[in-house]
Amino acid sequence: MNPVIPGPVPVPLPAPPGLLDFLLVFTFILHMLAMNFLLGGVIILSVSGYLGRRDSRYHELTRRVSRVLPPVAAFTITLGVAPLLFLQLVYGQFFYTSSVLMAWYWLAVVFLVLLGYYGVYWHQLRHDELGPKGAWVMLATAVLFLLVAFIFTQNITAMLHPQDFYPRFMNGQVGKIFGPVPLLNLARLAHFVVAAAAIAGFGIALLSSRWRADSPEFADWARRYGVTWFMGGTLLQFLVGLWFLFSLPAEIRQALVGEKFAVGVLVLGILLALVALLTVAMSLGAASVAVLGTVCAMAVLRHLVRLAYLRPYFDAHSLPVQGQWVVFSIFVALLLAGLATVGWMLYVFYRPAADGRRVSV
Amino acid sequence: MNYPVWEPFMLGGGLVIGIIAILHVFVSHFAVGGGLFLALTERKAYRDNNPALLEYVKSHSKFFVLVVLVFGAVSGVGIWWSIGLVNPEATATLIHVFVWGWAIEWVFFVVEIAAAFIYYYGWDRLDAKTHLRVGWIYFAAAWASLLVINGILTFMLTPGRWLQAQTFAAAYFNPGMFPSLVVRTSVCIALAGVYALITSSAVRDAALRSQVVSYAAKWLLLGTLIIPFGGIWYISALPALAREISMGGAPAVSIFAGLSIFFSALVMAFTYFGPLQRPRQFNLVFAFLIAVLALSTTAGTEWVREAVRKPYIIYGYMYSNSLRLADVPRVRAQGVLKSARWVRHRDLDPRDLQPAGEEIYRVQCASCHTVDGYNSIRRAVRGWSWAMIDYELDHLSSLGGFMPAFAGTEAERQALGAWLTTLNPPPADISIAPEAAAVEIQSQDAIGKGAPQP
Repeated sequence: MNPVIPGPVPVPLPAPPGLLDFLLVFTFILHMLAMNFLLGGVIILSVSGYLGRRDSRYHELTRRVSRVLPPVAAFTITLGVAPLLFLQLVYGQFFYTSSVLMAWYWLAVVFLVLLGYYGVYWHQLRHDELGPKGAWVMLATAVLFLLVAFIFTQNITAMLHPQDFYPRFMNGQVGKIFGPVPLLNLARLAHFVVAAAAIAGFGIALLSSRWRADSPEFADWARRYGVTWFMGGTLLQFLVGLWFLFSLPAEIRQALVGEKFAVGVLVLGILLALVALLTVAMSLGAASVAVLGTVCAMAVLRHLVRLAYLRPYFDAHSLPVQGQWVVFSIFVALLLAGLATVGWMLYVFYRPAADGRRVSV
Repeated sequence: MNYPVWEPFMLGGGLVIGIIAILHVFVSHFAVGGGLFLALTERKAYRDNNPALLEYVKSHSKFFVLVVLVFGAVSGVGIWWSIGLVNPEATATLIHVFVWGWAIEWVFFVVEIAAAFIYYYGWDRLDAKTHLRVGWIYFAAAWASLLVINGILTFMLTPGRWLQAQTFAAAYFNPGMFPSLVVRTSVCIALAGVYALITSSAVRDAALRSQVVSYAAKWLLLGTLIIPFGGIWYISALPALAREISMGGAPAVSIFAGLSIFFSALVMAFTYFGPLQRPRQFNLVFAFLIAVLALSTTAGTEWVREAVRKPYIIYGYMYSNSLRLADVPRVRAQGVLKSARWVRHRDLDPRDLQPAGEEIYRVQCASCHTVDGYNSIRRAVRGWSWAMIDYELDHLSSLGGFMPAFAGTEAERQALGAWLTTLNPPPADISIAPEAAAVEIQSQDAIGKGAPQP
């Protein structure tokens, strides 16, 4: 039986699908960086909060990192809007269908994020009063965010299996169709969570350089601590990544292996991760470039996997296009102006005050 | 038709969106107006050399960040989530038309959030002039995001020239855009006052409290006074049917519109005689009372705005049940069950019409109705005979102008009627009606047996 897939919207795409795919992947990378820091950050702070009962350095670390998390949470959400917008534009037929089938769970994401976000604020604003209990707040927040990640992997994977839409529809009640949870999705979830812990560790190492001015010893320790998370996460990722790769359906894996570009991207991502591992102890700058490169390569590879899944059912290039170039140009101009404005605000925020005082954030 | 239909228990999709949207509107307009309030009040504190007032602005900015950046941002995402689940076809259409508009709004969000955090964390780091400048950047970005989304929202009710031209400019600069911008901007100013009343009531110093309370009251009154002018302009831009519904054509809408006006009058009266005239006696309970009245006004107005768009979701283009007007003739000719992708029964069984009838209800009616909850269909047809139900189904579009005409074959209409008849125990004399209908359908041989349409 042919899979039941909703028809495309009879309004032309406002730009060629190649450009939309590029924006989808590009903005997804931005979202990934913030999301990794947030999810990994709350995981690291749960562990550090627990360790902080015996060692005050962990307590100091949770205090300092907790101040950074609220803006990171805000940017995770906002930066996530753009890729989801482009996903809905190009792949809406698949995304909406899988979302509607699991509507209650998908809607729950909003409430889980809201609660988790307030958890992040609670931990920051009441850090010293909470003391050792702060670890529990972070743990609860981590559980909320992990649930969000789980629902996301479930939906974003389900949308790639349109052949299952109609049988699932026939066997369940629309809105409550969540399962089954294949091993593939657990591997995918683990892949993201381990990456998040590694990137957040790396982020803490980067942050520590800002603490050097007021407490150099602590900053050195925090840097080593962050690097440990990064190295542990990345080493573990080699195993988890393999697990994920080999839980992909054979035909998808073969399609990727048969495509030189995809293999190149995968090899590049792995090599860059190795470079990051080797350089992180010596130069955070060099490792940053390698980490960013790895994230970019993995985001591109993820997109290629999506295309491989959907190829039998859908080709975005067959859709009519009517470019809205004037308003697109306005978007690009405003994006540049917006980034310049944000850059200026960050500059005035971080430049040393006239009286020489520096407040660490 | 194109997507599976989700029926949220008792609430119905419309109310799920409505609950999230009303709360979001109440916070997001504060996100804009509150930004203006922060910048202007900070400037006032510098000009009057009033450090106490500056301290108040600081504490207000913390409240602002906690309400706006968390609840405002997440509930905004919540609306998007819910419309995608309840009306995927319309959401997809809007995204096709407005993706660059949303992308531009997203740029403003990024600036807005960065500015809000730098403003909040920057009280002790930035010099006064730079800090105030960041406040203005926040407000400019927040208002610009309203400017963008406002045009997309009004497009749904007044798509104007887009129906012919199908360009971004025609869609965005639609007839309702500017009037609605005036209304929403004044709501922003009024809500800045509402929230400022809450924080100012908690100020410890009595003299400062009085000063800030009456200052906040002026914001609320000023904003509320402008709303009717924008409102009248907005109503004049509405399509004729929508205007008729909003001006008394439909009792339910009139009640809600009346309540909305009543609540806003109460807000004004309470604000004038309370915080403005007697700021010393003002307290947190009073502030919450005004906030609840303002929220009720918001809820009523948003409900009316949604209701007058019926029977469309995009006026003159797509019905509330996601059926495009252009597709109606095809659906009439080939039938709902063969046009819809997500049905379990593609064929009518003349001996058992109810399952198909329920299916047709789900596809055509469940976007607005529930069986037993909000806008209950069981209550709507209570006491109606099968013949009456069938007659009304045949004349749906004339039922108060709220509903699109039934799109489907005559046999399908009768199947829907048969199912609706089973919802309430029918009087004895017409209990045979569904079977009678089946016989009639059989005799007309109206049931096609084509292959399922994927």
